This record gives sequence, C-alpha cells and structure tokens, in this order.
Amino acid sequence: MNPLGTLIYLRRNASRTLPLMGVIVLAVLLICAIVSLINSIPLSVKTIYKYTSLMMGVTPRGEADRTPQIKRIIENECPVPIGRLALCRASSTEVQALVGKWQFVVIAFDRPDLEYVLKRMGTTSLVGRLPEVGRPEAVISEPVSRNLKLKLGDILLGPDRQDAYSPQNVKVVGIAKTANWFMFADREYYTANHFPPIDFILVTAKNPARQAEMDRWALRRFKGDRTQVISYLEIERQANEMFKTLYKILDVVIGILVVVITLMMGMLINIYLGQRTHEFALLQALGYSTKALVIRVIKETALVVMGGWLLGVMCSIAMLNVVDHWLMYPNAYALDITDRTALAYTIPVPIAIFSAALLTLWTRFRRFDPVGVVERRLV
Amino acid sequence: MDKVSAIRPGRRCGTEVGVISAVGASLVYRDHEREVFACSSVDIEVVPGEFLGILGPSGSGKSSLLYLLSGLKMPTSGSITFEGQDLHQLNDAQRAETRLTSFGFVFQYPYLLGYLNALENVMVARPESDFREQAKALLVSLGLESKLGRLPHELSGGERQRVCVARALLGKPKVIFADEPTANLDHANGIQVVQLLNQHRGDGSLVMVTHDPSMLAEADRIVRLEDGHLAP
Repeated sequence: MNPLGTLIYLRRNASRTLPLMGVIVLAVLLICAIVSLINSIPLSVKTIYKYTSLMMGVTPRGEADRTPQIKRIIENECPVPIGRLALCRASSTEVQALVGKWQFVVIAFDRPDLEYVLKRMGTTSLVGRLPEVGRPEAVISEPVSRNLKLKLGDILLGPDRQDAYSPQNVKVVGIAKTANWFMFADREYYTANHFPPIDFILVTAKNPARQAEMDRWALRRFKGDRTQVISYLEIERQANEMFKTLYKILDVVIGILVVVITLMMGMLINIYLGQRTHEFALLQALGYSTKALVIRVIKETALVVMGGWLLGVMCSIAMLNVVDHWLMYPNAYALDITDRTALAYTIPVPIAIFSAALLTLWTRFRRFDPVGVVERRLV
Repeated sequence: MDKVSAIRPGRRCGTEVGVISAVGASLVYRDHEREVFACSSVDIEVVPGEFLGILGPSGSGKSSLLYLLSGLKMPTSGSITFEGQDLHQLNDAQRAETRLTSFGFVFQYPYLLGYLNALENVMVARPESDFREQAKALLVSLGLESKLGRLPHELSGGERQRVCVARALLGKPKVIFADEPTANLDHANGIQVVQLLNQHRGDGSLVMVTHDPSMLAEADRIVRLEDGHLAP
C-alpha cells in the first residue's frame, strides 16, 4: 500500500475533506432542487395538457355553422390517415397548477366517441362507470381526481360555481386510471344545457406517432382562417414562450450561485492547501518533484470534487423523491426527479471548483520553497 | 581539532574520489537591495563512506551549504556535482529523482506526516512495496518495534527523530544529509540519534551540520564554516 496513495490522505483526513465535499454536495443539491422545481412548473402545464398530444381540437371562430365545412376539409385534405373524427361540446373549468388555477376543458362526447377517446388516453381501468346519455355526469382521470380532490359522487360542475359552471350539478361517476389529465361528459347533456351551441371537432391520427404531423398540417391549413386549432404543439410552444423570462432569471441566479460557491471553495481550498504546506515541503525536500506533487493534489481534488458532485446528485434525487412523495404527487403536480436539465445546470459547479483549485495550486507551487519551510523560515 | 580540515586548495573533484563535489559554489540571497553571501566560493567534496561534519556558529551558512550539496538549492555561481553529474544541468524532476533514490535527509525538526503511522512515514522515502520489510527492519533496529503503527502525535520527540532517521536510511542512500538533527533533542537523545545514523548508514556517506562539536565525535572529518567561507 502506497502511503501517498490518493485515497489514504482523503480517508485519514476526513475532517478536512468532508467539509469540502459537503459544500459541493450542498451546492449541487441547491442548484438541482431549484432547477427541478422551476422546471416542474412548465412540466406541470405540459403534463396537464398532454392529452392534446393524442388528439387535435378544431373549432370555428365567430361562425357557429362552419363546423361541417371544417369537417369536410379535414376529411378531404388531411394527408395523415384519420383514426377518429368526433363532434363534441365543451365547457371550461379550472385545475390547480403549481402557479395557481389553470383553465381546463370538460369535453362532452357521444358514447361511442367517449369509449374510443378513453382508450386513446391509455385508460387501463375505470373505477365507477361512464356518464349516462343525457345525464349530468362526468368521467375524470385519476390525476384530475387527485388534483381537485374529487371522489366518485363529488360535484365537478354546478350552477353555483363561477369557474366551473353547469346549470345542473355534474357528478363524477367514473375515474379512469391513466397518466393523462381529462374530464369527459355526455354530449347530449351539454347540447341541451350549455352555451354557446357550437360543435367542435376532435381528430385523431390513426397512428398516434403521426399526431404531431397532423397538428402541423392543420396549423398550416387553417392559418388565417376563422378556425382555431388546439394542438399540443401550440400549447408546448406557448408554455415555452411563457416561461422564457423565468428561465433567464434562473440562469442569472444559477450563474451567481456558481460564482459565489466557486469563490468560496477557492478560498476553502486555499486554506486546505495552506494547512498542507509542511507536507508538500517535506515531500519535495525528500525527492518528490513539483510535478509529482501537483499531480497527486490534482487527483485528490478531482476525487473530492467528483465525489461531492455525485453525492450531491444522489442527495438531490433523494430529496426530490421526498418532495414528490409528500407535495407533488398528492396534488398531481409533475416533477421529474431525474431532470437532465437540472443535472446539466450542476455541471459548472465541479468544473468551476476544479478550475479554482488548479489556480490555487498553481499560485501555491509557482514559487514554492521547500527549504524555507523545512528550515522553518517560512511557515 | 585535528579532524577539522577544509578541502585542500587545488584538489581535483572527480568521481573516483568525491561522491559529491562543490567547486567555487556560492549562494547569494537578496535582502532588499543588499546581496547576502550565504556561501561564498566553497570548494568541498564528500568522499564515499565518510562521515563529514560541518561545524559553524548560527548564521555561518552551514545549512545553506548542506542544501547546495543536496541539490535542494542551486548555487548562484560555481557547481555541485553528484557522481560526476552537475546537479545544475538536471531538471527539477531529475534532481528530485536523485534526491529520492540517492540521498537521505534528516532535518532539524522531526517532520513527519501526521496522518501516517511510523512505518508509513518511513516508507514515504521509498513508497514501493519492496521497501516495506526494510522499513520495518530499520524501525526495529532503531528500537521502535512497538511503535510501527503509532501516529506521530503518539511518539515522543526522540522517537519521532528516530523515525526520521529510519526514513533517511531507507533504500541505503549514497549520501545522508543531516541538518542539525539534534537541535531539538536533549544531549543524550542527540548523541543517540547521531550514533544511530552513523551505525546504520552502511557504505553511504553522512554529511551532518551542527553547531555542537560534541555531536561530531564519530565524524571522520570536520570542516568549519565562518560567514559563508570554509575556515582554514
């Protein structure tokens, strides 16, 4: 066993190396947590509206009787084979997003279309039943029930609710097990009770993998037309646009954090190396070249920095798991506990700290005089 | 004082005679605008196997001479050769390699690495596993058999210096440099350390700097330094 082996120093000087590692762990944990939690905002928005990636909505604007014409255009011109083209009605309600209440749509289908769409949404099982024709009843997905704390028999829409209005109390009669968010009701009830009396169209691509292609075609085809296309592509684009400024602020915050942590670590490493002056002087006097000593310290620093980073990443994942379990999942908020962007944001930490360590090392060894130390002239 | 002698003027420095030779070696420090001659045109050679004592009062330049001879300092003028090779011609890594493999060092203060035990501290001089048994044997022969696994703070001052002696002896170096190795020890411990160095050095030369003539009782030759010059 080489007494000057890299791990020996780190292990036997744990009281010195662990605090250094600890600072890196905390920095990584902090950055990873901040970025993951910030990312969870747009992620939640995208997750809430993810169901639109499985179907596209097309609705007339200011011309209620234009729906049949739109339907014909889609049937005749869409280059992507159509899976289902369903006429629906809709009303709005709200869900609880991370940044407050967010608009959501209750879509009312005819029974065969409802069954098709539930399958399309990846429903694996249904607790309760489907809404009966003409009845004020709704089926919601499991994330929605968690988010709005709704059980079977609870009221989804009602006459006394401003943000979730329906002339009658619309009860939850079914909860579908799937990761997608949706609230579906019966079209006949909506036709009889909801305003405006406009049918809109939901279209699915026969092959779900080609849904985005269909969306792009519709966006192009109906551009400038009195028609609105509601697609996941648009929602995603709007969400990204909406949070652009937030991400700029985040970049500045993380940048400041990295600079502060690097300066702090640079100073800590300087003290750490300063405490080892006698060791370096002795080894150099005995016959270890500057290069050999520098390589040894670089190896130790790399281990501390990489170890700290890895440990920081593991701690972040563990902490985000706890946050997800206690805060996010019960409210159906989306959180990616292994968010790659968040991990990418932490990479400057080890790089900057390692660079600061190299700079410190270079300034220390540049004019290092071992004789001065072993003679006790320089301490 | 019949042992006290400087190198005879004009004596040639050659590999057949001196293992280390200094020719006109000077070491000048700059103290603000003033030049201070730590060593001034020193000619000296260390003969293989000899115990050379360098005696002088504090500030006479004896430590500087030792650091010049061992390649830890480069002369401002003149040359230092080890086995015919000018140390000045070697790069930092080559000089370091020479110190590690051919020289042993004992300093005034018993410098040990605090996180290594006695045996590991000795092995710092030659970390290759082949030297482990030799390091153990050295510590045993220096009376430290029960202290092999002790950390430096668990050893007395004398024991620490003996560990330093073992470290200097490991690998049977050709020259051992000792810079006032007894300065921080009581007289009895000091004498013991010098005796141990002298007994265990084998064929290697021992160059020891001290201000205490009684420590050089076993020296083969003693030179005096005064104000950076070898005294006649």
